[in-house]
Amino acid sequence: MAVLWSKLSAVLPPNEEEFPLQFSDKVESSVVSVLQQSRRQLYSDATSTDRTLTAQIILDLSWEKLNTGTWRDVDKEWRRVYSYGCLFKVAALCREHPSADEILQGIRTCDMGLLMGAAIMDNVLQVLVQILQEEVRKSTKEEEKRLKTERPRVPVIKDEQAVPRIKCPSLESFKSDYLLPLRPVILEATADHWPAFNEHPWSVEYLRSVAGCRTVPVEVGSRYTDEEWSQTLLTVNEFIDQYVLNRVSASSLTVGYLAQHQLFDQIPELKEDIRIPDYCCLGDGDEDDITVNQNFLVQVVGSKYIRLYSPEDTDKLYPHQSSLLHNTSQVEVENPDTERFPEFARAPYLECVLQPGDVLFIPVQHWHYIRSLELSFSVSFWWS
Amino acid sequence: MRWFGFGFNAFGQICVHNELSKDEGRDTVSDVKIMNPTELHRNVDKSVCGRNKCLKTSQIRASWSRRVWLHVDGDSCVCLAGFGGTSVVDSSGCTDTVLSETHLTLAFSDRIESWDLQKKEKTPAWSMEIQPPTDTSGPPLSLPLVPGGYIATKPPFYRSLSPHLKAKSLALGAEHAILLSATGAVYTWGLGSHGQLGHGGLTSEEEPRAVEALWGMPMKHVVTGGWHCACISDGADLYIWGWNESGQLGLPSQSLRKGHKEESSQQAADCQSASINPGGKPLEGEKDKEVFISIQAFPALLDISPSCEIRTVSCGSRHTAAVTATGDLYTWGWGEYGQLGHKNLISTDEPQCVDFFKEQKLYVVDVVCGPWNTFTAVGEEEVKLS
Repeated sequence: MAVLWSKLSAVLPPNEEEFPLQFSDKVESSVVSVLQQSRRQLYSDATSTDRTLTAQIILDLSWEKLNTGTWRDVDKEWRRVYSYGCLFKVAALCREHPSADEILQGIRTCDMGLLMGAAIMDNVLQVLVQILQEEVRKSTKEEEKRLKTERPRVPVIKDEQAVPRIKCPSLESFKSDYLLPLRPVILEATADHWPAFNEHPWSVEYLRSVAGCRTVPVEVGSRYTDEEWSQTLLTVNEFIDQYVLNRVSASSLTVGYLAQHQLFDQIPELKEDIRIPDYCCLGDGDEDDITVNQNFLVQVVGSKYIRLYSPEDTDKLYPHQSSLLHNTSQVEVENPDTERFPEFARAPYLECVLQPGDVLFIPVQHWHYIRSLELSFSVSFWWS
Repeated sequence: MRWFGFGFNAFGQICVHNELSKDEGRDTVSDVKIMNPTELHRNVDKSVCGRNKCLKTSQIRASWSRRVWLHVDGDSCVCLAGFGGTSVVDSSGCTDTVLSETHLTLAFSDRIESWDLQKKEKTPAWSMEIQPPTDTSGPPLSLPLVPGGYIATKPPFYRSLSPHLKAKSLALGAEHAILLSATGAVYTWGLGSHGQLGHGGLTSEEEPRAVEALWGMPMKHVVTGGWHCACISDGADLYIWGWNESGQLGLPSQSLRKGHKEESSQQAADCQSASINPGGKPLEGEKDKEVFISIQAFPALLDISPSCEIRTVSCGSRHTAAVTATGDLYTWGWGEYGQLGHKNLISTDEPQCVDFFKEQKLYVVDVVCGPWNTFTAVGEEEVKLS
């Protein structure tokens, strides 16, 4: 396994002097001294215990900073410190004859840095995790016997309320007929060329083979307004076992959702299976604030029932008052309480059942209700 | 008064480890994580601060990388230890101190000074004059309270407080604050994201807001931790609220139990998963239907068994320590650096007595927590009524 370390160290600076550790004043000198200690240990023959200990101090401290305040207020410097902590920890774990378990821990540590940290040293954690993944051999002979196969409550789509469907419109006609007037539409046959439908058809087995040991954030619970709703971190294998194949009994009653996550940055192999819809070039490019973006929702596996309401009818949708949930309606869409929410029945909407290959255009700020009808994978493109 | 420390010691803030090994980057675990309560050496620099006597009053404050020891005895003396080495600060007449990661603040009878610890300057970064109190009826204000307001941990240092609050004592966390008024009422403000304000939700407050759940129960002592608060009532009961991800509230913590389960099969996860419960109501556990609490957004009464009166309490980042009227020290919460003093590195959500002091027949009189460590003062044993 010394071969593994030579691969890993090849992507790190050759010596201490060329290893950058620059931080703003926000990071106190005491903290910088610990980072410098880790850097020293990386290039000396410190013991594995000492290296791990120093890295853990960096992780514990920066974890506290990352959990102070709201996520968007966390100073990027602390996220960088956290990434450095992950880097030093991975180096300590995988230096001397790491066991299979230690390599998995190393992958998990890289993922934590990718999820919670900020890119350092040309995104070195991404490079390290690819190297570690290659070392892990996973058998892909898992059966998919216990996939949820029942198809509950497939709604019948009424023609007058259906989202219109068209095949491969020109850029100009999409822009004039749908984008500018902000009208939803399903573009058929637009994603047919994706490798995800052809050379690498996406499936549970495929996902396991490409990303099984990677750690991702998962939302647990049918609705994020429920009291039991929570978020957790699982490997893709654990997510599949617990929430897709229902192998773990405690989870068989709850729903798990891998969502709101930049999966393709974290797992670039999956990115190669998809293509950015051409129509995204009609935007002017500013991506930072999700709430002012248009969206293409591409269905890859399985199907989803979707209902869309215009922002003009927000007054009939009874959004929550709190700042955390003000873009969420209080109404249970398919079972509305007509006494508490009398106006809801008068809100016009469009609906559809999105099938594999369909690309749904969700105009900016449109309210959307989505229910998966079976195991479902979709890819979402935010653009403006 | 003798002081003992345990927990995080990477900078030698509890006890200095072998100078040689430090240079070579060799930090053994036992140097960095002090699991056994260790007595603090009084004589840092005998030539300047050569005190051998057991002092009646001394005060300890701790930041993440340092510890400051104020000896108040005629000519007071402030001894700093930790990152940057040990030193004695020129401080005769100093009556009170506050230590943050970046600044050391000293109170004198006529002025307050804040020194920037990251720069070696000859003058304080900030200072203000204060009038000696005209009425000597009440006890003097303790830092960070000053007449008319308080001293913050970062600039602007002086912040005013409305006189109608009648501030009697104040504790500052990194992003939240708790204030005790002369009437025994408790006010909190700042970040509320983890229920640390005790108002029942997760919203932050810009201005001091009364903790209504405690209305009618006068409190006598208030403290803050990283994401939690604790207070002691006049009746010597302990109330606690905020985030419980490491069991720092002494309530059942799911993330803690999950972390322990994972540890027995593989190494502990770097980052505990947190389930957020905005309503403040407990979540159902998976197996035994035990009720877990990850965020306690309203004050909860904590009974440290066996039931006993609480004399004082202090909180670190993610742990809590309390001293009982019978001279025992109880700790709970995050323990991975030895800060619970139970001779191991295990976190716990159940308050446990620190046996070391009982075994040594030492009577605990005070406790002060740094973010990742704990300092305990022992004194003469009081006469026990049987």
